[in-house]
Amino acid sequence: MKTKWIRNIGLAVMALSLTFGSVSAVSASSKLSGRIVVNGSSALLPLTLQAANEFKKLNPKVRISASAAGSVTGPQSVRKGIADIGACDWDASTDVPGFKKFDGQVANKVAVIPFAAVANSNVGVSSLSTAQLQGIFSGKITNWKEVGGSDADIVVVNRAFGSGTRVNFQVKALNGTDFMTKGSNYKEVKSSGDMKTAIETTPNAIGYIDLVYVTAKMKAMKINNVAPSEANVINGSYKVWAYGYYMTKGQPSGVVKAFIDYVQSTKFQTGSLKKLKFIPLSAMKNA
Amino acid sequence: MMEAQTSGRAYSGEELGRSLEASSGKIFSRKARLSFYNRTFKIICIASAVFVCLILFSILFLMGRTGVLTFETVSVKDFFLSTDWVPENEQYGAFVFIFGTFALTLLTMVISVPLSVLIAVFLSEMTPTWLKTALRPILDLLVGIPSVVYGFLGLTVLIPMLRATTGTNMGDGILAAAIVLTIMVLPTISRITDDSIVAVPKKFRDASYALGSTRFQTIVRVVLPAAKSGIMYAVILGMARAIGETMAVVMVIGNTPQLADALFKPTSVLTSNIVMQIANVPFDSTWNYALYMMGFILLIISLIMIVIVRMIQGRGVK
Repeated sequence: MKTKWIRNIGLAVMALSLTFGSVSAVSASSKLSGRIVVNGSSALLPLTLQAANEFKKLNPKVRISASAAGSVTGPQSVRKGIADIGACDWDASTDVPGFKKFDGQVANKVAVIPFAAVANSNVGVSSLSTAQLQGIFSGKITNWKEVGGSDADIVVVNRAFGSGTRVNFQVKALNGTDFMTKGSNYKEVKSSGDMKTAIETTPNAIGYIDLVYVTAKMKAMKINNVAPSEANVINGSYKVWAYGYYMTKGQPSGVVKAFIDYVQSTKFQTGSLKKLKFIPLSAMKNA
Repeated sequence: MMEAQTSGRAYSGEELGRSLEASSGKIFSRKARLSFYNRTFKIICIASAVFVCLILFSILFLMGRTGVLTFETVSVKDFFLSTDWVPENEQYGAFVFIFGTFALTLLTMVISVPLSVLIAVFLSEMTPTWLKTALRPILDLLVGIPSVVYGFLGLTVLIPMLRATTGTNMGDGILAAAIVLTIMVLPTISRITDDSIVAVPKKFRDASYALGSTRFQTIVRVVLPAAKSGIMYAVILGMARAIGETMAVVMVIGNTPQLADALFKPTSVLTSNIVMQIANVPFDSTWNYALYMMGFILLIISLIMIVIVRMIQGRGVK
C-alpha cells in the first residue's frame, strides 16, 4: 500500500519533469532574445498585450513592455528612440489632418479597426448620410428634426484632438470636414470609455466609437444606409474603418520583426485578434 | 552589564562621564561613539530635508523653463489675454482656462464655505457628545475618498439630475464641477473650522452669556470672529484642494475651450485641459510648452496659497 503510493508520486514527478523538460527544450531551441518597447494607441493596446503574452510564451528570453498614451505618442516615441514599436491608429508615415508625417518610419499593418457613429438610444434617427454627418459634426445641423428626427437639440460629443479614433472618423466618415470646436451643446471626452458613458447617459447625444465598444444601450447609426457590422466592413460596403499600424524606425529587424510577424501571422490574426473583435487583415484582401 | 555593576550607587555628572569612558571599548570611547551617531543622524536628517527642497525647486525650475519656451512663438499678451485656444492652428490663448479655474474655485467657495461653516458650528456648538464622536470620523473618512469616485458619481448621478431639473441639454459646466468640488472640500473645510471653533476659550462664551446674549448672538458675534483665522486657514486649504483637482472636474466640465460665462456651458479649466491634451501632444512643440506653462501657473497659484496658509498659521488662533 505504502510502496504503491510512493511509486505513484515517483511517476508524477517523472511526468512533471518530462513536461518541464520538453518545455525547456522548446525554449532552448528558440534563440530569440531581447527587449521590445511598445507605446502609443490605446485602441490597439489590448491586441498588443495579448500578442505579447503569447509571443513571450514562445520566446521566453524576449521581454516586451507595452503601454498606451494615445496614438500620436507611438510614432513620437519611436522618433525619440524611447520605443521600438509605436502603435498608431493611422498611417503615421503619411500626412493626416492635424499631424505631419513622420519621416523615416515604416507603417506595419496589424489589424482592422471599424468605427461607428453612435447616438443615445432616445434618438429616433437610425440612418444618416455623409453630408448629414458632416453637417452635424461641423455644427451646421443643430436639431434632430433637420435630419428626420424629433424636435430636439443635437448634443455632439467629440474626442479630444490627437485621438486616433477622431482622426480616422474625420477622414473616413466626414471626408476630412473640420469638427466644430465650441458651442453650448458640444463637449469633448478623453477616451473611448468616456465616450461610451457620455453617449449612454446623454439624451440626444451623438458621437463615434470603435465598433467593439458599441453596447446595447446605444444606437449605432447606419451611414448612407449601410449598417456598421463586421460583415459589411469585410464585404466593402461600410467604409468607416481603418488599419491599425505598428510604426518602426526603418524596416523592422531582429526580435521586433519577429514580433510583428507573429502579430501578422494567420494563427494570431484568426485566433486571438478576432476574439478581441478586431478584423483580421486577410479579411480585407477583397475590399 | 554596566547597570548591574553600578546599581545602587549615585553618581555625579562628572563621575558618570568618567565611568562611561572607562567602560567603553578600546578604539572609540562611548562618548565619541554617541556623538558620532548623533552627528550622522543629524546629517541624514538635514540631507533629507535638503533633498525635498531640491525636488520642489527642480520641479518648479523644469516646469518654468519648459513653459517659458512657449513665448518663443506666442506673445505673452496673447497667451494670457486671448481666448482662442486652437492649438492645431497655432493659437494658444490660455485666458479661457485661467478664467475658468478662478471662476470654478470662486463658485465652489461660494457654495461650500457657508455650508461648511454651518456644519462646523453645528458640530462644535450644538451637537451632543455622542453625535460628535459619530460625525467627526465620518467627515474624516470622506476626506479620504478618491476624487475619481466623486467624478464618476458626478457624471452618472449629478449630471442627469441637473439635466432633469433645469431642462438643459447637457448639464456639463462649471456649476456641475462646482457641486462635485463642494462635496469634495466640504469635509476638509468643516473639520478644520470645527477644530478652530473648539479652540475658542470657554471664557469668551461665558462672558458673552453673562452679558445676556442668546446662543445665536454668542456664536455669530463672539465665537466665529474669535475663530476667524482658523476659518480662513480652512477655506484656503479647501481652495488649494479644489484648484488642483483634476479627475473629478474633467468628467463633468465638458472640456470645451470656451469662456465660462454661463453655469451650464461646457468649458475647461487649467487642470482639465492639461490632462485632456498632454497625452496626444507632440513632444517638442509649442503646444507642449503651452501646457507646461499652464501647469506652471497652477503651481504658482497653489504655492501662493500655501504661503498665505503659513502666514495665517503663524498668527495662530488665540
